[in-house]
Amino acid sequence: MMNKGGGSGGGSGPTAAAAAAALQKQKALLQRVDTDITSVVDNFNQIVNVARVSDPPMKNSQEAYMMEMRASRLVQAADSLLKLVSELKQTAIFSGFASLNDHVEQRIAEFDQEAEKTNRLLARIADDASASLKELESHYYSSAQRSTLD
Amino acid sequence: MDSDMEISLDRLPIKRLESIEENGAERFPSDVDYDDKRVSLIRRIDFAWALEEEDELKKKKQKKSSKDSVEQWKWKGMVENLQLAHQELTVIIDLIDTVQANDAVTVAGMTRPKPMPNEILSDLAVSTATKLQGYRNLGNYFKQSAKALEQKINREARFYGALIRLQRNWKVKRQRMLASNASNEGFTIDLSDSSLYDPTSGFRPSTLSTIRVDHDSAGMLAINVPQDSWYSLRFGYVGLNPIGNSNESDEHIDSTTGHDIPGTSEKLSASDDKYVKETHSLLREVHKSIFAEQLFDMLNREAFNEGVGFNISGLRENFMEMSIGQGASLFVSLHPSGKNPSIKKSESATLLIESSGRVEPAEGGDYRLKKLGFPNRTSYEIYLQQIFHEHAFGKAKDQLKSKSIRASNQTEKDSNSGLLDHFCLSLTHRIFSNRVLVHLESVVCKVPYLHLISHPTWNSRTSSWTVFMTVPPSIIPQGRSETQSPDGKRNLKTQFRTKVVVKDDCISVEAECTPNVVGLLKSSSCNLFSINKYECDVADLPVMILQQVASQIVCWLLEEARTVGTKASREFLSLSLEIVEGERVSLVAHVNPEDAKGCISWWLVMENGCTEEREGVSESRKLLGHLSLDVLYSVLMDLINLCGTGRNALERL
Repeated sequence: MMNKGGGSGGGSGPTAAAAAAALQKQKALLQRVDTDITSVVDNFNQIVNVARVSDPPMKNSQEAYMMEMRASRLVQAADSLLKLVSELKQTAIFSGFASLNDHVEQRIAEFDQEAEKTNRLLARIADDASASLKELESHYYSSAQRSTLD
Repeated sequence: MDSDMEISLDRLPIKRLESIEENGAERFPSDVDYDDKRVSLIRRIDFAWALEEEDELKKKKQKKSSKDSVEQWKWKGMVENLQLAHQELTVIIDLIDTVQANDAVTVAGMTRPKPMPNEILSDLAVSTATKLQGYRNLGNYFKQSAKALEQKINREARFYGALIRLQRNWKVKRQRMLASNASNEGFTIDLSDSSLYDPTSGFRPSTLSTIRVDHDSAGMLAINVPQDSWYSLRFGYVGLNPIGNSNESDEHIDSTTGHDIPGTSEKLSASDDKYVKETHSLLREVHKSIFAEQLFDMLNREAFNEGVGFNISGLRENFMEMSIGQGASLFVSLHPSGKNPSIKKSESATLLIESSGRVEPAEGGDYRLKKLGFPNRTSYEIYLQQIFHEHAFGKAKDQLKSKSIRASNQTEKDSNSGLLDHFCLSLTHRIFSNRVLVHLESVVCKVPYLHLISHPTWNSRTSSWTVFMTVPPSIIPQGRSETQSPDGKRNLKTQFRTKVVVKDDCISVEAECTPNVVGLLKSSSCNLFSINKYECDVADLPVMILQQVASQIVCWLLEEARTVGTKASREFLSLSLEIVEGERVSLVAHVNPEDAKGCISWWLVMENGCTEEREGVSESRKLLGHLSLDVLYSVLMDLINLCGTGRNALERL
């Protein structure tokens, strides 16, 4: 889930601190997951429990309010879980340095290749142009056209 | 009756001390107001005695009625009963009033009437239905929130998908400080190139270098770029290109990129692919703008350095004008290219209409450019960008590759310091070389046996051409030739070349058989294979070239004459043959670059050696005209024949 690697190296300060921070964060995230899931389960249980129609009608209306409250809490917990997922996504996007670097390397290689290809193409065009120019010039100057032109 | 009377005494309403505190403050019980008093009085009502009394009265009445039924008035009992009932009723009414007045009286016990079974069932049904309704509502609520959450997930998936794809090409940063803002996740796209911003190079980061990523109304990724904030570099010649007005290629680019900020209605219909592509191109546009800004910035800084090739004549914000050599002056400006797409759309139609009218002046401008020898400005715009790119990013790349080598960087920097200078010199050179080429072409076109060959040098400040001439083959067979080189090859040239090289604004001509002072003195021979090099300026170039060519022809004829075995000598541009003692015939070339028909004309000059005072009397000259090489050769052969006969005639004599 998180980048824990590098903490085992241990010797250097910042790495260790980062690893500790990562561990802390992981713990916090897990705790949040636990809390949210417990909340979901509890609230659901409660909702199911109040399903029984109780005798005094007053209690029933109380239970209706409770049901609504539980439901909103349940949704809230689910939302919080989703938020957590999106946070994880962000972390995955921004902390996946290995893949990011790979991408950068790949792009660099691609662009280098592209540049090389372009250079080759330009060189070829230049060669072609100079060859054509030479040919055209020799044709022009050895043709009868030039004398009639002037 | 008196003995039954009970008197109860209330406590006197005197304020009594409840307690005295240590500091002497006395505390009284709270005042009892009238209502409380009344309530407490009512609470004291004991109905028990009344009930007992009633019972006793009933018993007495029964006894009395049995005893005194005769003597007593028979309605008396009824009146008493009514009185009692009235008494009771007033007590109850009082009680009810009190209860109504304030709620202080609690009902000690009250038994509900036992409900009927059908009542129980109906109650149960009602509460079950209510509960069911509650659960239904709950279900709806859950459904709604599930839908909302699903939408949120989809939106996020789209957003992050787009972000990931942008991240492949751009540097996306996250700022936690801004993340609290609801519409903004705190993402920014960093377009600056950190390799350029080292303090020594002095590049200042552009205002555009950081772009915020926002959510749009559909939850999709949106980037906010002010419409007018990006620039494109413009370069042109003062007086020939409009400064303020953009050229057509720019308009074209604008019209394609201007739409890249899609409207809300388009966004929904556009697929994500297209949207990401549009964002890419928008970012690319900004990137290019940053590049242009950097380039202009650097040019500005270089403008303050001393340069050989340019002279700054005007400097404003986002505009600089400089004069370079060859009578040209150019401007470089940063032009805001981003325009409001809505205006753009409406303008595009009128632009199209206008463009047809614009063609003619553009062509006229091109013609003027050509006449002045100015190169195509678009290509030089590209060239400027390219050299800057190589200078800035090539260096950065090198630095990445070899950070340790400081010395090489230093030299590189020195050589790169005059980027603007180099550019201006290149441009000047191009203008100059175009003019040189015009001269060369005019010469070559007039002389039929000359060919011009261009040599692409692939150097922006060097150009090279060769004026090339092929002489007709000798009629003397190879084996019988007298002049032969040691390796068995004929010592006669069949081709003559004159190489013209222009470096910056220096022309150098390089050729064999140069008609120089040495050649004048050593008129007897000419070395076909020694190459001389000299410089000249553009005004003299046609004459120089023609002289060079004529001299080459003379050399060739001389060699041919010698091959046959005739005594001949060369003097600058003339070839002399001795026909008889004292009588010489010369073939003289006359060079005139203004001559339209052929710049080299030939004269046949007869000299009578016997007469000391020449000038006109004994010297006769005849214009042969513009001869081709073949004709020249045959003229030479005729002259040689004449020599032979002349000699034979002498011998015979």
